[in-house]
Amino acid sequence: MSAERTPPGWSYNPSEWGQRLPIVGAALVGFAIASYLALYQLNVFSTVWEPFFGDGSRKILNSGVSKILPIPDGALGALGYLADAVTGVIGGRDRWRRMPWIVVIFGLAVGPLGAISILLVILQPVLYSAWCTLCLASAVISILMIGPAMDETLASLQYIRQERSRGRSVWRAFWGIK
Amino acid sequence: MWPRIVNAILGIWLMAAPAVLGYTEPAATSDRIAGPLIAMAAIVAISGATRPVRRVNAALGVWLILAPLILGYGWTPAINSVAVGAVVAALSLIRGTVSDTFGGGWSALWSSQQREANEHGR
Repeated sequence: MSAERTPPGWSYNPSEWGQRLPIVGAALVGFAIASYLALYQLNVFSTVWEPFFGDGSRKILNSGVSKILPIPDGALGALGYLADAVTGVIGGRDRWRRMPWIVVIFGLAVGPLGAISILLVILQPVLYSAWCTLCLASAVISILMIGPAMDETLASLQYIRQERSRGRSVWRAFWGIK
Repeated sequence: MWPRIVNAILGIWLMAAPAVLGYTEPAATSDRIAGPLIAMAAIVAISGATRPVRRVNAALGVWLILAPLILGYGWTPAINSVAVGAVVAALSLIRGTVSDTFGGGWSALWSSQQREANEHGR
């Protein structure tokens, strides 16, 4: 049973709940932090928690970069974490071959979006000479999620690759159509 | 595992170093950009399937060694940059143990054969 669910040449199944739920949990913690920061940016809260860097959080969260897009970057982060959690939880223990499309969206949401959060960490001191504790915490969570999530994406991409080399449709493999 | 942990700590150190050692541009800017990138690559490379990402830190380590000459640092940030860069680059070359197998890893996606199927991810 479990041998069937394990991708060929793999020693474990990356779609197992034990592999996915910790990532979903981390995404929910990130969602809570980013939502709190977004509510401050939307003036729902008048102050923001900052134990280490003085008025660093205030500076960063009201900066020009944080307002480049129509919605504050905290809200964008919250939506990103929500996408991570939702795409992390959809599908069963064999979703790497049953629903490669959701695994690929999950990989893109965790991978490139996590990399963008490190860009924001770089911008903080270089542009504003300030640090923001909860922004850093959010970036750490994003980065911790990347490695554990990418193995499942690899399994799905390998599956699509194998279907192609067997002369089957990449399109159908991607959507999990038999 | 430990080469990745040490490199992550060194990346975080670079973020704090301008304030701790008291230096400014251009060294501070280089370190505040290289530091988070090194920490990110090191943390991502802890996982077996993404272990190849460790090689990003070889390039960033070389940059830290060369940056004092290219950008013109004072003594303190120059010694810090070269020392951290040398350790980061050296540790990034250590693959460590990967006990799991990943169906030939990422290279299986662009190689024509399935013969690497049982090879460990490098």
